[in-house]
Amino acid sequence: MTISPIIDIQRITYSYPVQAGRTKEDQSMLALREVSLQVQRGEYVVLLGHNGSGKSTLARHCNALLFPDSGRVLVDGLDTRDVAKQRIIRERVGMIFQNPDNQLIATVVEDDVAWALTVRGVPAAFIRERVEAAMHDVGITHLRKQPPHKLSGGQRQRVAIAGVLALRPQCIIADEATAMLDPLSRQEITQLLHQLNQQYGLTIIQVTHLLEEATMAQRVVVMEEGQIIMEGTPATIFADLERLRALKLVIPEPIILAERLRAAGVSISRDAVTVEAIARELML
Amino acid sequence: MTDSIIVTKHLSHTYLTGPVPKKVLIDISLEIAPASCVAIIGFNGSGKSTLVQHFNGLLRPTEGTVSVDGIDVGAGKADLRALRRRVGMLFQFPETQLFERTVFADVAFGPHRMKLSRREVRQRVIDALEMVGLPHSEYGSRSPFDLSGGQRRRVALAGILAMKPHILVLDEPSVGLDGEARAEFYGYLRHIQQEQGVTIVLVSHDMAEVATLADWIFVLHEGRLVMQGTPRSIFAQSDRLLAWKLAVPPLSELLSLLRKQGVDIPTETFTLDEAFEILSTKNRATL
Repeated sequence: MTISPIIDIQRITYSYPVQAGRTKEDQSMLALREVSLQVQRGEYVVLLGHNGSGKSTLARHCNALLFPDSGRVLVDGLDTRDVAKQRIIRERVGMIFQNPDNQLIATVVEDDVAWALTVRGVPAAFIRERVEAAMHDVGITHLRKQPPHKLSGGQRQRVAIAGVLALRPQCIIADEATAMLDPLSRQEITQLLHQLNQQYGLTIIQVTHLLEEATMAQRVVVMEEGQIIMEGTPATIFADLERLRALKLVIPEPIILAERLRAAGVSISRDAVTVEAIARELML
Repeated sequence: MTDSIIVTKHLSHTYLTGPVPKKVLIDISLEIAPASCVAIIGFNGSGKSTLVQHFNGLLRPTEGTVSVDGIDVGAGKADLRALRRRVGMLFQFPETQLFERTVFADVAFGPHRMKLSRREVRQRVIDALEMVGLPHSEYGSRSPFDLSGGQRRRVALAGILAMKPHILVLDEPSVGLDGEARAEFYGYLRHIQQEQGVTIVLVSHDMAEVATLADWIFVLHEGRLVMQGTPRSIFAQSDRLLAWKLAVPPLSELLSLLRKQGVDIPTETFTLDEAFEILSTKNRATL
């Protein structure tokens, strides 16, 4: 038996329903046009694009929050349009959103992490074990009795991730999950996702408009106007800065510096896309 | 210095709402020059928001004084209405505060409440929309809810500008905007500062943003003003900033890493051009 991809998006097209007061022309605006993408088990993929490029719309197709107008999406071999399978699909593919407050419910951290298991009627001992493990994995065990609103943004986002982890998903989609955080917390959340990917072979799909968050990915998928327009390792994506600029993405200054130094004859490997790697190259 | 537009002297603020009094600002003395753009940075809970809420009288000092545009905010008889007209505040995600049916009506809300004549209100709305790049002729009659996120944020900014504030306080103004929307938004802010002489107070986590916009930075840590200076001098001290849980702009981070490895890079190096100049000549020298 060949190993099937965890997420198999087959030529999907999608447009948002017409809103009252909109004209016919607006309606024909397609959010996704014939998009195909396979994500393998254990892969770390970054979906990159500016606001309105379709990246979030695509991500929401991966756990049955949205359904394609044409084409189909298979999650672990299950068609997302099959109503009977949607619950399993959402357990296998967990989602983290931009604002953690939108997905925190309970009054203390450990209850919140346990929430999804509790509503599923899982035995208490089992819940305790899962919650314990999930809190440990994201490093919030010491905060267990705290009310979520007393935590910092980065800590709240960790609680949200633990809540998803407690369901033991195969894949986590982080949809602009760092957008509301301060820069250090942002780096920490990206590192946490990276670590979960390495440690447990968890498939990660990170949706972002920040190029610096793409540097740790195995594969970067760039979207524009509802289509995938570039795909490859971070190094190959960063090789075409002009194109990235045209796509309204902010290029991190160290990358621009490396590019200019390279043009001036300094040898810096194209694989160096993080601050640390560029510094290392310059030291050689 | 008497020509500063905002002056705080030994400002302290203690929240009394919780079970135990909580001192969130401790002995802060600072001055902000008119028509400058200053940034207030600090980790969560450092007191940034509490500080700027004194600038338009949402909070009053527990100890010390705050003077804004000649108004003593702490005084019992301070004219807060006048103060709030002069100090515009743009909170985080201001686009969620839009509520009117048209862009025009939304921007007109503030000036309308100031009891200006209809003609004056209209002129101010047209000017404000022009300033944020959403000309009235094209956008005035549209619903704010049909616009993109970046455009909605600019409508919210226009609503403040139409009240012709002398001071503009912005809390995380560009969170959630993409590269292009961000660059545009910065352009409008700079225009407002330079052409209209508006003083801008920026509260931000985004160090790249602070490095781009601010002339002067105040660093808060646990309620105290721990450092102030130009972006160039502040970001040269990446280790101190890290100790306060603050990131430096990525370029400063790179330069600091190289310095630690023994590469001789002057601490005041700040811009991309300067870094390029130093590193490219260095490389030639070693060859």
